[in-house]
Order: sequence, then structure tokens, then C-alpha cells
Amino acid sequence: MKSLRLKILLLGLSLVCFWGCNKTDDGSYTTPITLYEKVGGSWSLKSLKMVDEFAKANEIKPDEQNLESFFNYQDFKLLLNLDQTMNPTSYKVEGNVPPLFEPSGYWELSSPFQPTTANAVRIKLYSDASKSKLTQELRLTSIPGSTSDMQVQLVRSSEGTAYLSYIFNLTATN
Amino acid sequence: MKKLLYALFLLCFLAPITSRSQEEAGDVSKIWSYPVIYNYDEEVTWYFDMAGTTFTEDEDLYIWIWSPSEPDAGNWENSSDFAKLSYEGNFIWSFTLTPTTYFSVSAEDIAASAGFWLRLKNKDGSKQSGVAQVSYTPFNDFETANELIRSYPTKPSLDEGLSILFNANLAEGFDGVESVHFHSGLNDWEVLQEYQAWLPEISAKTQLKDLGGGIYKMDLIPSEYYGTEDGYVMTNLNFLMVAKDWAATIPDQVLNAAEYIPPPPPEFKFFPLQISQKDFLGMIRTNNERGVTTLKYTITAGSKIIEGEFTGGTSEIKGFVDLVTELHGMSGLSQIHVLVSDNNDRVITDTAIPLKK
Repeated sequence: MKSLRLKILLLGLSLVCFWGCNKTDDGSYTTPITLYEKVGGSWSLKSLKMVDEFAKANEIKPDEQNLESFFNYQDFKLLLNLDQTMNPTSYKVEGNVPPLFEPSGYWELSSPFQPTTANAVRIKLYSDASKSKLTQELRLTSIPGSTSDMQVQLVRSSEGTAYLSYIFNLTATN
Repeated sequence: MKKLLYALFLLCFLAPITSRSQEEAGDVSKIWSYPVIYNYDEEVTWYFDMAGTTFTEDEDLYIWIWSPSEPDAGNWENSSDFAKLSYEGNFIWSFTLTPTTYFSVSAEDIAASAGFWLRLKNKDGSKQSGVAQVSYTPFNDFETANELIRSYPTKPSLDEGLSILFNANLAEGFDGVESVHFHSGLNDWEVLQEYQAWLPEISAKTQLKDLGGGIYKMDLIPSEYYGTEDGYVMTNLNFLMVAKDWAATIPDQVLNAAEYIPPPPPEFKFFPLQISQKDFLGMIRTNNERGVTTLKYTITAGSKIIEGEFTGGTSEIKGFVDLVTELHGMSGLSQIHVLVSDNNDRVITDTAIPLKK
């Protein structure tokens, strides 16, 4: 009887040792999803609004005007290119429209993730591939989610105060 | 098979008509008549306000009317002279006709028709207004309405037509009189047009039109009839009907004038209020005067001059200038000079706008 108890105990210990040495499989590592996957691609214009921020702040009407039917803006397209690893590369404006910002160059986001604060992510536009010469910043005021629409804002400011902005409402074309 | 051939024939027949290019000039903004009310066998002048259309003041306009009949049928590409309108100034054209004669139909046929439906067009038909209708006010119920006086409109305006009906059957002493006259004045008899029976021209001017059956009609435009000066404000019109040589009169009558509502003043704005040379400059003018359809601008930016124009209508003329492209790459600009005038060469604004850096 004593011998049987010993045998059972040894069997239990050997099983514990066997399972205890086995490595637990908790899945392989994946790169977290970034905003680049949502923001990169081809975007066409749904509407373009010019907002008089000075008039708005001083409650003067009118404080906004729609521009999409002027200056060929119905043909406006913005291409935000990504490489195979979902990193931002070059950008290009298509359509024969007035150059509110440089029509081609390189881009990146101020943060690859959605911020937890109220500050909007910015699309930074550069003239050089090394992204050292910033030409413009566009505020990303609406990020694509359940709909494939995105809103960016180009703000004109003087001495730190915005006096005019252009709001581009875009929709994905790819 | 036969039906198919008919359909193809019809298609070939219609093709040249439908493929003809046509400029739409816009809708007639207002139509009125003088006299205000009239019988179909009475001469009338129709007025067409074309402000807000693309017709210009020096263009010849023609009437193309297809109801109650089509007097100029077959001549769309070369309207007849009888269909030509007269230009009255201030973008108003007129057409004078006696409906029964012009349409070669009876008054009963006109009354039973769909009414007066038309377009206004240029001579060769390459430019046309929208479809318009001249409305007609029937008044034959007056005869049995047991009313001594009825006016159209009920409240007259100084510069607009007025028709006053008089039922002499309801007035004592008017039975069988040779003529009936309008003895009247504005603003409690302040400005007079008396019936002076001994003066033939005054007697004729004040004489009512005899419509038969004891019904008479007086047509007038107060400002012209009384010769009032510019700016005169009419508050009422006092009158009485007088039988020839004052043989009989009716009691004093009064019509209170319609309230005069002046149009809102024009307003010009730049948009936005602050701008850089990399932005669009908007110009907006609302409540435009009649006939003002275009804003012409000249922008001077350093050595560069930008010129252009925007078109619109009475309610609004609006447009944007692309400074983004025009001033791209220019350095040292601190302001632009903007001169805006209307299509009558009247200066709207002549100002300098500072440019934000």
C-alpha cells in the first residue's frame, strides 16, 4: 500500500515537471494599428468651406462661404501615399486647383495614434523627403471611422490668432 | 411596322427643332397691365420686367404667344414686326394689343381658353425667357354685385395703375346721361384734378369709359394723372362721380393708399474680412438696385492688375477672386487696391485692403 502511494506521488511530480517546462503559447507579436492605415490613400473633395474666423469670433455675418463650385475644386484629389510598411511617403494634389498649400511633397502625422486630448492630429507637409522643411500643417479634424470620410482644416493665422480657415471635407476613393 | 415608320418619321421631323441651341435668358420677374382691368375687346398694354434676365437694354424683344392662339406661328427664327415689344426703360418692355384683334378670336373664346401663355425672345429665337403667363382679372360680376364703386387694387399706389368701376344704375340722376366724369384729389383734396366742364381737354381727361349697361370705368396712374413731384407720398384718393355738366353727383368717396414699403438698401461686403495674398477674395452685394446685374472689379497688387466681373440678380451678386494663383510668388506685398463698379459704371467701392503676412 505504501509502495502504491509512493508510485502515485512520483507520477504526479513527474507530470508537474513535464507541464511546467512547456512554454505557454500566447500568440505572435503584431504591429499596432495606426492612423496611417486610415488616413493614407486617395481622397476626393465633397465640399470646401472658407471660414472667416475673425468674423466668427466677433459674431459678424456672414462668417463662412462654400467654395467647392469655384476654381475647379470639384476635381480636387489628395493622394497621401504609404510604403509597404504603412509609413508615410509622398503626397500629391490632383486637379487643376489654386495652390492653397504646396501641391506635392512629403507627409507625416504629428502622432500615429489618435490623441486622448482634445488637440487634433496634424498632417505635416514637407518639401523634402527627409522631412526637415515643413511647408504646411493641416489639422485632422475628423478621422475616418465607420464612414470613409475625413475632414482637414487649413488655418491661416497671424501673430498666433487664426483669422481664416479652409475646411476640406474629403471622402475615400480607393 | 407602320407604327415604327411613323415614329421614325416624327423623330426625323423633330430632330432639328430639339437640337437647336437655345440660350435661357431667365424668367420674367414681373408682369402687369394697364389698364389694370380690361375687357378682351379693349386695348391694353402689358408690361414685362426683365431685370434679372440676361437680356440687355439695347436688345429687341418679341412676344411668342401660343394661347389663346398663335399669331406668329411658324416664325420662331424670324419673329414678325407685329410681335415686337417697345422698350420703356429700366429693363421694362411693353406690348400693346387688343386681345380679340391680335388673337383673331372672340372674347368668349379667350375666356374659355387656358389664358395668355408666352415667352419673350430675340428676333432669331436663339435667346428666350422662361414660360410666362399674363394673368387676367375678370370683373363682370360687378354688374350684379350691388356695389356703387369698386377699385382694382383696393388700395392704390402712387406709381401704379388703378381702375375704378362705377355702377350708375345705383346712383340717382345718372340714368341716360351723356357722360360721367371723375372729380378728384389726392391726400384729402390737396392735389386736385377737378372736373372742369367748360374745358374740353379736362372734360376728356376726367371722363370715365362707358362699358355699357350703366357700368363705367376710370383708369389712371395717380402720379401721372395728378402730375405729382418726385417723392410725393400719397395717403388717400378722394373722388366723386359727376354726370355731364354737374347734372348729378354721388357722395364723396375715398380710397386709402397702400403702404409704401421702400426696398432694403444695397449692401456690399468683402469676404473674408482679413486676408493674405494666399487666399480667395470674395465680393458680395445684396439688395441690388433694379438693372444692376454685374460687379466689375480692378485689383491692383504692386505692378500686377487683376480685372474681372461677377454677375447676379437683385437679391445677390457674388464671386471670388483667386488671389492664390494670381499673386503666387510675389513678394513684398503689404496691401492691394480694389475698385468695384456696377454695370452702370457707378463706383461701389474704391479701397485698399491690407494683406496679412
